[in-house]
Amino acid sequence: MNAKLLKNLAMPIALVAICAFFAFREHAFLGPRNLTQLIVEFSITGTLALGMFMILLTGQIDLSVGSGVGLIGGIAAVLVFQRGWPAPAAMLGAFVAALVLWTLMGALIVRQRIPSFIITLGGLLIFKGLFWLVIQNSTIPVARGDEDNLYSLLTTYYLPARIGLGLAIAVAVALGLIQWRSRAARAAHGLPVPPVADAATRWIVSAAAVVGLVVVCNNFRGIPLSLLILAATAVTVYFLTRHTPFGRYLYAIGGNEEAAVLSGIAVNRVLIGAYALMGVTVALTGFMTTAYSGASTTTVGDLMELDAIAACVIGGTALKGGRGTVWGVIFGALIMTALLNGMTLLAVAPEIKFIARGVVLTLAVWMDVKLGKK
Amino acid sequence: MSVPLLEACGLTKRFPGVLALREVKFELQPGEIHALCGENGAGKSTLIKLLSGIHPHGSYEGEFRIDGTPAAFHSIRDAERAGIAVITQEFALVDDLSVAENIFLGRAPRRGLRVDWLEMHRRAARLLADFGLAIEPETPVRQLGIGQKQLVEIVRAIDKKSRVLVLDEPTAALTEQEVAVLLDHLRRLRAQGTACIYISHKLDEVFSIADRITVLRDGASIATLGVRDATISLVIKHMVGREIADLFPRRPAAGPGTLQLAVHRLNVAPTPGRPAWLREISFELHGGEVLGFGGLMGAGRTELLMHLFGAWGHRLGGEVVLRGQIHARPTPRDSIRRGLVLASEDRRRYGLILEQEIGFNLSLSSLRQFTRAGGRIDQPAEQIRNRAFFDSLRVKAPDQHARAGGLSGGNQQKVVLGKALMTEPTVVMLDEPTRGIDVGAKLEVYELINRLTAEGKAVILVSSELPELMGMSDRIIMLADGRIGGEFARADFSQEKLLAAAMGRAIPSAA
Repeated sequence: MNAKLLKNLAMPIALVAICAFFAFREHAFLGPRNLTQLIVEFSITGTLALGMFMILLTGQIDLSVGSGVGLIGGIAAVLVFQRGWPAPAAMLGAFVAALVLWTLMGALIVRQRIPSFIITLGGLLIFKGLFWLVIQNSTIPVARGDEDNLYSLLTTYYLPARIGLGLAIAVAVALGLIQWRSRAARAAHGLPVPPVADAATRWIVSAAAVVGLVVVCNNFRGIPLSLLILAATAVTVYFLTRHTPFGRYLYAIGGNEEAAVLSGIAVNRVLIGAYALMGVTVALTGFMTTAYSGASTTTVGDLMELDAIAACVIGGTALKGGRGTVWGVIFGALIMTALLNGMTLLAVAPEIKFIARGVVLTLAVWMDVKLGKK
Repeated sequence: MSVPLLEACGLTKRFPGVLALREVKFELQPGEIHALCGENGAGKSTLIKLLSGIHPHGSYEGEFRIDGTPAAFHSIRDAERAGIAVITQEFALVDDLSVAENIFLGRAPRRGLRVDWLEMHRRAARLLADFGLAIEPETPVRQLGIGQKQLVEIVRAIDKKSRVLVLDEPTAALTEQEVAVLLDHLRRLRAQGTACIYISHKLDEVFSIADRITVLRDGASIATLGVRDATISLVIKHMVGREIADLFPRRPAAGPGTLQLAVHRLNVAPTPGRPAWLREISFELHGGEVLGFGGLMGAGRTELLMHLFGAWGHRLGGEVVLRGQIHARPTPRDSIRRGLVLASEDRRRYGLILEQEIGFNLSLSSLRQFTRAGGRIDQPAEQIRNRAFFDSLRVKAPDQHARAGGLSGGNQQKVVLGKALMTEPTVVMLDEPTRGIDVGAKLEVYELINRLTAEGKAVILVSSELPELMGMSDRIIMLADGRIGGEFARADFSQEKLLAAAMGRAIPSAA
């Protein structure tokens, strides 16, 4: 029991320790400006990690997403800046490109039975090359002149304080309603219902967290739009993985692919679906991260595949598939982002940052292997 | 009687939430073969782990004595030093090393710093010869058959001066001939004074080798019987705690039902471009009927089932008609939707997602039944259905949220069957449904087959055990080398005829 509690608390403790360390070294770390920046960066890493999560659940991997993020952001930037497309149209175009590319990649993996590691490693290089071709090794801003458009606003728009607070309260109420309804449904079917006190505590904690987050954001400029994108992605992935057959099949395939086939699961279709969804999150991440750096340049998206994988694995997703939760991924992304953001704030040299990232990734995988043996 | 070689008294072992052993009494005399019998989960493995130091001294209550002195093993090494050697189904042999190296693993004869290879091979050759084994000491273990590996392990244990051999299901993977060799050797060792604890599900084997039998049930030692005073049915009665009138309680359905499956001149190759493996297979299957398929290993029984289900082979010719519909190039998904299910023989590989809960596995093939608007699974409805199957199949676990991988073989089999039956099939194919499961669970599977046919469903049963096949089938088709070797109505069942057909010999005319 104690061991289990410790396992559940390990991530929050690690997160608090990391934040305390950085806050101690640099007080600005917990300042409203940096916290808001951290939230934007967290939204970017988290969204990509949620896509990666569904791939890892099936026991597959996708190493191409970092290059893909650059490519898709780059396509949208070129369409806006050089072709003069309206931002929504440009983003839709790039989005379709991502969907097509990842669906094709998924189809290639399942139909030709080539390991995803190889196909996506090829994708990493091919997409990188295509990316540089598309932006012609230059810097393409996401908006013309100083005007704002939907693209540039992705990481610069903040919800007005009042609307943010209203939204937080609405979410808190909705959380309570959903919990109450699921309890009622279980009770109506004569299934055991957890004690009221537990449910109430959970609701109070989650409601307080949502409202508290908004209050912190409102100290600076309000809830960043990117956080809403992450939230929408997280809710969607949570629903897909916990409440639909598709999600069950992801876990089943990762747990035992042969048994999944014999259980009547259309394994190929599910895997292609997982890659298509990966494409969707790559597009969202591509737009956000390109907007965050203000322009598409050759380094956008570099190594993001590793951050996404690290976030998943830190959050308890098994690399061999079949195990993991959305909550874990969110926490893992938060830990990765806090580390990177804190090191940037402390002006840690880039070479040291690389080493730190590598150490964290290795430690996470080592833990995954240890846990997998139990 | 002399002082027992091993004597256990009041052994109690607790795991969180489970009482694995309760006040177990057990006694082993020198030169005795003592069988341990019990259903899966009765406590046999726990007892062995305790006697062999895997569960160390202090983690259990009660004590056991060796030669009259209390033993306190803290590790397997302690037990080995006291002369207890455990031989399990998972071999402790290194595949890439030679037989001699394996026998002397960790204690190779040395000359200075070097391994004395000549001496090692000489001693290994003598040991093998003493044992009557025609194996070269230099042979890599990888090249040995399962039976030979088992014997090599025993040779190693003997050479370590083991006085107690513990054999856990030693014959599960052996052919009949290998079993005979193994039993011969055990008898010889017994004559030399080695004692043996013998665990097996195969009761006829136990009766042919053991001197005494101790029956465990629910963690308690129920009875210790001398083989001369015991009968198989008495042992079974102790094992399951109730009388078993008939081992194979087949109740044929009222009358022939409608045609469910018709197979006509089916020819199937493993992969495109290869010659046919299954050849000219034709049969019909009606509702309410159990059609048994028998045959030797590699006769194509599993392949036939897997092909009908859509999981194996490339069809070269022939036709399959399932409930009036042509069943061509199906996937398992198509088959399940058309009412044809398969419960595979290899539960862990093909049947279950071991890491997930029982409920997750039960409903995995039937999620469509619970999917509501927006693609959402109605989880309360799903859990109620899961619970109904969990209860009616009498899965032994706290609830449906327990991990499938933690269940015993028989209970895993029940989950596999539950998953297949939840899809509401009309044709149920069972591939070795009772392999490796205990007597009580077997009976439950047989009752389930009766229930299915009483509901008008059709059942295909594949089994390697002829008594089971003859006991539970209404009709039997023997496969021989990918062809039909013979078809028999219930009135014509006899072991001799079935075996002759399995070996592809001409069937003596019954006239």
